Amino acid sequence: MMLTFLLALAPLTAQETFLKDVMPILNKAGCTSGPCHGAAKGKNGFKLSLRGYDPEFDYEALLYDISGRRFNRADPARSLMLAKPTMQVPHGGAMRFDATSPYYKTILNWLSSGAPFGSPEKDKVVRLEVKPAELAYNGPGSSQTVTTVAHYGDGSTRDVTREANISSNDLDVAEVSETGVKALRTGEAALLVRYEGKFVTVPLTVLNPKAGFAWNALPQHNYIDRLIDAKLQRVKILPSPPATDEEFLRRVSLDLTGLSPTAKEIRDFLAEPGDARAKRSRLIDRLMQRPSYVDRWAVKWGDLLQNSRKYIGDKSTWGFREWIRDSIAMNKPYDQMVRELITSRGSAYENPAANYFRVTRDPKPSMEKTSQVFLGVRMVCAQCHDHPFEQWTQNQYYEMAAFFAAVGLKPGYETGDEVLYQRRDDYEIKHPKTGRPVAPKYLVASVGAPALSTEGDRREKLAAWMTSKTNPFFAKAIVNRVWSYFFGKGIIDPVDDIRASNPPSNEALLAALTKDFTDHGFDLKHLMRTIVNSRAYQASIATNEWNAGDRINFSHQSPRRLSAEQLMDSVEAATGSRPKFTEVPEDTLAQQLPDPHVGKEGFLDLFGRPQRESACECERRADLSLPQALNLVNGSDIAQAIADPKGRIAKLITEGASDRRMVEEMYLATLSRLPDAKEYDQAVTYLKGVEGRAGRAQDLMWALLNSKAFLFNR
Amino acid sequence: MIVCQYPGMLTSFLIFAAFAQTYTADVLPVLRKQCQGCHQPSVKQGNLDLTTFAGLAKGGNRGPAIPLLIDYVTGKRQPRMPLGAEPLPEEQIAALRRWIEAGGKDDSPAEAVPSSAPQLYRQLPLINALAYSPDGSLIAVSGYREVLLHKADGSGIAGRLAGQADRIQSILFTSDGKTLIAAGGAPARSGEVQVWDVASRKLLRAVEVSNDTVFGASLSPDGAKVAVGCADNSLRVIDVATGKEERKIPHHENWVMATVFGVNGKRLVSVSRDRAAKLTDSTNGQFIENVNLLRGELSAVARHPIRDFVVVGGEERVPYYYMMDRPRVMKIADDTTLIRKLEMQNGVILALAFSPDGKRIAVAGAADEVRLYDPETGDRTAALRGHKAGIYAVTFSPDSRQIATGGFDGSVRIYDAVSGALKTEFLPVPLERRASR
Repeated sequence: MMLTFLLALAPLTAQETFLKDVMPILNKAGCTSGPCHGAAKGKNGFKLSLRGYDPEFDYEALLYDISGRRFNRADPARSLMLAKPTMQVPHGGAMRFDATSPYYKTILNWLSSGAPFGSPEKDKVVRLEVKPAELAYNGPGSSQTVTTVAHYGDGSTRDVTREANISSNDLDVAEVSETGVKALRTGEAALLVRYEGKFVTVPLTVLNPKAGFAWNALPQHNYIDRLIDAKLQRVKILPSPPATDEEFLRRVSLDLTGLSPTAKEIRDFLAEPGDARAKRSRLIDRLMQRPSYVDRWAVKWGDLLQNSRKYIGDKSTWGFREWIRDSIAMNKPYDQMVRELITSRGSAYENPAANYFRVTRDPKPSMEKTSQVFLGVRMVCAQCHDHPFEQWTQNQYYEMAAFFAAVGLKPGYETGDEVLYQRRDDYEIKHPKTGRPVAPKYLVASVGAPALSTEGDRREKLAAWMTSKTNPFFAKAIVNRVWSYFFGKGIIDPVDDIRASNPPSNEALLAALTKDFTDHGFDLKHLMRTIVNSRAYQASIATNEWNAGDRINFSHQSPRRLSAEQLMDSVEAATGSRPKFTEVPEDTLAQQLPDPHVGKEGFLDLFGRPQRESACECERRADLSLPQALNLVNGSDIAQAIADPKGRIAKLITEGASDRRMVEEMYLATLSRLPDAKEYDQAVTYLKGVEGRAGRAQDLMWALLNSKAFLFNR
Repeated sequence: MIVCQYPGMLTSFLIFAAFAQTYTADVLPVLRKQCQGCHQPSVKQGNLDLTTFAGLAKGGNRGPAIPLLIDYVTGKRQPRMPLGAEPLPEEQIAALRRWIEAGGKDDSPAEAVPSSAPQLYRQLPLINALAYSPDGSLIAVSGYREVLLHKADGSGIAGRLAGQADRIQSILFTSDGKTLIAAGGAPARSGEVQVWDVASRKLLRAVEVSNDTVFGASLSPDGAKVAVGCADNSLRVIDVATGKEERKIPHHENWVMATVFGVNGKRLVSVSRDRAAKLTDSTNGQFIENVNLLRGELSAVARHPIRDFVVVGGEERVPYYYMMDRPRVMKIADDTTLIRKLEMQNGVILALAFSPDGKRIAVAGAADEVRLYDPETGDRTAALRGHKAGIYAVTFSPDSRQIATGGFDGSVRIYDAVSGALKTEFLPVPLERRASR
């Protein structure tokens, strides 16, 4: 009876449905936004799903909540859902649209014709089409308009330009306004166009408007340079030539081993005969064999795996550190290393890889960490709602978490130990909406992934899927991450936020690196060796008129502030003072520390050493702050190191070194190069004289330590 | 409607408006758009309500608002209004200023009174309230701005009680069957309690209560008082004979959704979106204690016909059956008064009813079926199917043999309370065919 009645009312024009017509209004008018009713707890007792990701929920909220309070079917125009946004009654969220607007009419028509939900097959957007598909500007200043067309399940289309949301991922390059997309400066950006849960990214290029660009081919060391040059040529950027041997030596030593070169190493390298490229390659191989190479990368992996006694206790921290160091020292294939972590079991004292799960004890954080660290995918938003800018849904969050559901931890035989075991009952992850157990499912399908069944250890299957060469994220994520350690920026950046709306700056380069990496059996050393042998890595930080503005195409190197550990170890190496950490053996370097417990709240933390509270790369801060500057200028750490009675300056003074030698030694120890003629003159003049010579030498050392050339890897 | 009836008045009004600023044409629209978000009855920032002329004239913490208006919007007084938003455009400020200089007069038209002609329906109203008359001959059903009295067998309409309130949330009969009380209102606009003489179908009195619909009304056992829940978090007690509001009880921290008196009428249980079922002394309004352990938001309560036992339910989907008296000394957050919990429902609970013989509890809500339980064992005895969407009202017939239900789909259904079989189904209102477009 109801149905015939509703059919009788159906107007001749197309029927408005909630899915196709009303939901976009709620999103555009801001009703479903985070600060308003889309908030986790809603607003003033009325909750909608964030940005309308769950139309069923929103439909029920509008029509059914509080016994249908917001819907007046007998007199639709009196419905609270129309009175509120038009401010016919007071509304804390102010007026969203007025009673003469098309939005109002659409909602009123919809309510008057029985408020149908619509058909998920026909009325949902299946695809967005953005015209043009790519934006190119011949220079800053001009604007272009973008049209968005939604394609629906029933084959129909609609121009949704007005309701679609467009944002630019680089507001310095392009800005979006009501009138169009305006180019602001030379460079590249990506536009993200969103509508009703679908999104499209639109690449945008603003070319340098200057005339007279002429490509100047530099030597290409390997495929990296070929792929970078191809892109540079296309966007009219000229790469910088390689850095000097001294610059390269310091850069590559810091990057591979965490330490600056010693004076002897510098002199030897500069004196080494032969072709510059071959010489640099030999150096790279030597550096990768050093114990300090292990120190350096153990810090990185300690960060990512959150090795800290806060979570796993004193003894396990050392055990986990050893496991990490062994893996690096033997250059364990990356897929194997990850498999060992993901499938770890047993006593954490006997198998330190199990500490991976002692840090994040519960399935959900374990899943979030695993996807962020090893797949570069951030799932955390999807715990409460579908990801606003990505394809990930709340269902997928729980399907992935289900892989870790059976991970159990119980006390081991020894004090402080814990045993990771497979739980046998009542471990299933339940979906928060339905309260029903969720079966594990891979995030995306990939060729050759093992079929999922209810038997066996789910983690084995997850590990097999993850570490497969065909996994679309696994190898790409680590390649991109490692790249960022040598350039200060990933090809996709941030490195642990891989998503369609965050495209790589050079897709071909990332693909080639990924393929090379998997072709070489997930060999991390091979990957690093390839990167540091490239001309792009070895390029100078000096820029030319065509690449000065480039920040994403690796046309020149960029100075990177030394990490906390690098800085501390470099200060000590330069001044000849010795590290003074408690609880660790004498002369333990900053980069050899097991966890952030040692040296807590000191120099290292000030300079951004992460507390290992999260697996996010962002926890390590590389900024320069005022407290850091004050510490360098006035702090006791630097002052004491310089004035160390057994330190470099004291030694040079007591040896009776000449002014010239003192200057030379100090430059080599700090800036890893010899002073130029002018620097010699100035420094020697300053040191001259007998009275207070040590004090003046200390001043000079202090000035060098405070110079940008020392504080940055360049 | 008003406009059509008095075209002359509208014209003169427009001519007048061309020369001077008026409250309704120039001031109210500005206040509505710029100020009422915060200065409204349910928020009342600065104790100020700018939704009515009276509120504007009365003012808030700083005294009458008319003389202060310009100072605040220009920033002469801080903080400048509207807080955290762009200043008002010059022409709006100028209009406000001219209106104040001209004396700041109120020209609000008198409240529109709905015509007494029967409501015409093109679509079915949602059903929010149902009640059997004590003799079992009538069933009262909520309509839009009216209560419809149906013959209890569903054979037709016996009377229509047209009132002001858009929505009727509760319908109650006094035990002698002579008086009907309907409570409800217009969401975010006004609340109302209506008292009707059943025999003559005449409205005896209507009482305005709060600025929003009132929820979950209940009658004291002697029929003298009616308790209602309000969206301003208060629980109010109104004298039926005089319409006087006797008490405004402020114990809850969120909307009060349902109420019920104890057997002797001296105590009152109210449930709220603040998750509490609170026990109040109805003779003096004093808070006694919480009946329940806080879990989810609550929306419904029903009491055993002769014992001080109540069943409460809401967001958590689980009906909890509590006693109002505490067998042992109270401890913080204990749950010793819980008799039992019933099974979890498929949707949020919105309506509960106890059969007059005390043998059944009916549970309804966002799920499309009503379930009946034996309060002694907690076992489900029947599931009433047929509704197509949420069910907002359930009530037992006085002989406990039938149960009437209604909700989103707008149909009244009557079931056998023992077998759960659907006995009859009818539309409570006559539907008009839509005029051709």
